[in-house]
Amino acid sequence: MSISAPRYVRAPVAHLGRTFRDLAVLQREFLRRSTAGPLAVIALAFLSVVITVTFTVDFAALTGTSVMGAFESPYRSVFWTLLMLIVTAMVGSGSLADDIGSRSITLYLSRPIHLTDYLFAKAAATGSWILIAAAGPGCVAAGLTAALGMVSASTALTAVGAYLAVGLVTAVYFTGISLAFSSLTRRSLYAGVAIFGSVLSVAASSEVVSGIVGNTNVLYADPNTCLNSIAQASFGLPAPYPIDPATSLVVMVLVGILLGMLAWWRLSRIEVVGE
Amino acid sequence: MTGVVVADSVTKRYGEVLGLNGFSANFPEGITGLVGPNGAGKSTLFRLLAGQLKVDSGRLTILGEPAWGQGEFRRRIGYCPEPPSLFDWMTGNDFVTTLLRLDGFSREEAAARSARAMAEVALTGDGNRRLRVYSKGMRQRVKFAQCIAHDPELVLLDEPLNGVDPVGRASLSVLMKQFSAAGRHLIVSSHVLYEVERLTDQIVMIANGQAIAQGDLHRIRDLIDSRPHVIDLETPDPRLVGRFLGAWDHVVSVEFPEPGRLRVKTRSPDAFYAALPGLVVTEGLTVRSVRSADDNLDAVFRYLSEGRR
Repeated sequence: MSISAPRYVRAPVAHLGRTFRDLAVLQREFLRRSTAGPLAVIALAFLSVVITVTFTVDFAALTGTSVMGAFESPYRSVFWTLLMLIVTAMVGSGSLADDIGSRSITLYLSRPIHLTDYLFAKAAATGSWILIAAAGPGCVAAGLTAALGMVSASTALTAVGAYLAVGLVTAVYFTGISLAFSSLTRRSLYAGVAIFGSVLSVAASSEVVSGIVGNTNVLYADPNTCLNSIAQASFGLPAPYPIDPATSLVVMVLVGILLGMLAWWRLSRIEVVGE
Repeated sequence: MTGVVVADSVTKRYGEVLGLNGFSANFPEGITGLVGPNGAGKSTLFRLLAGQLKVDSGRLTILGEPAWGQGEFRRRIGYCPEPPSLFDWMTGNDFVTTLLRLDGFSREEAAARSARAMAEVALTGDGNRRLRVYSKGMRQRVKFAQCIAHDPELVLLDEPLNGVDPVGRASLSVLMKQFSAAGRHLIVSSHVLYEVERLTDQIVMIANGQAIAQGDLHRIRDLIDSRPHVIDLETPDPRLVGRFLGAWDHVVSVEFPEPGRLRVKTRSPDAFYAALPGLVVTEGLTVRSVRSADDNLDAVFRYLSEGRR
């Protein structure tokens, strides 16, 4: 029998992959924005949409008018776009600006994580909040009306699908805007003001210009009109639409993606940090 | 050249401003101090090494890999930036855990490593407090925790002792030495030379974006022998002693800064120290003390940086 000293070897640590690391950034960013302000605004969105839709659907069921039109009713109001703008400004304006301003982005990117991953995770976190605000209230309202027996389950499910579709488009568009403006400044306040100012001014001016020149194509610059058209088509409402829904969909998604790419370009240009 | 970090004629511009200007240096294993005044280019070099800036020209490698980019080799490096750079809304534990998860550690492994690192920097009791309430010293310590928690081979510490109280400095210095003793490498920047002097003899001196000297501290001291070396002598008769010393070839000047004190500048300190005892004995002089006025790194740095101007 022989006796030998034990050998202690440190077990190799299994590192998780890129997706997991992206999820860590996403989770942190998502939780970071779950503060009183955004939660209050989203609660207001839920409350107002659920009440409005429930009563409108009830009224439509009683009068025999289009139930899907009642489900679509929130999108006809400018209040909807304003609500989305508030949510976007609250959850998205600081997504990049805060990290650039505090230079804590240096800590993220000193780890084995690529700029693209970082930006994608930030976009996913901001987009998730916007999606919750954009689609959540409608989905709850559809469920509630079905539960109360106002509409059939299949009608409610169709409405949920339409809310999710419009919510996704809304999330892509407003996430792109928030990332672009957030990447341009070190102060989230400036980014928030820019998000509000740019969207509202583009929306208002496109309405005015469209009226003056008599060309509805100008309205494709107006997110409110675009969303309205997409929503009408998604909920299966008959034409005429304010503008072509398919083109509106392409415009909104394209603008969102292009602005996201602008944010990426901007971050890569400033090389993360600067004095 | 081999080393944990090798810089070959690295230049980095911020528009018209030169951050680094043909910086060349070889950072060996162990602890190396990067010493230079504010604005010398220390943080620029660290950001280049952290992959957050891209060199305009020249070649910069870290652990044998090109410094630019966020590749998987970043796991082998710990980076402690100089600015506060903290997620103020997080707790200390969350901060370290989150950054560990970005290294690819599972949630459980990250939490365990975070707890160990926080204990090493004596912040266990404050781990559940938000970073926004941390003092500057605590911030430095939590930053140190995040950069050692994943057990990297090389740690880049940008002004790690800045703002830390004396007790914190001592404990951080001990941690750095322990980390190095475990076979790891550290590059520690500072504009306070005595801080680095306590940690290591290996230094790279930087000024105006260039390496003005590098290597063993004592070798660097040799570099300054061609420049006047200041020696203070305490004697009851400075003028008498000064008359003898002024006659030596290598003595550049003799001054009388205050009563009972003599300041000599010599181009050959070794010859001065060798000849002084003989002079005192043969002439019957009284010299109560001899002190080199520039025995510290500050003086070395001043000599070298002035020599470049």
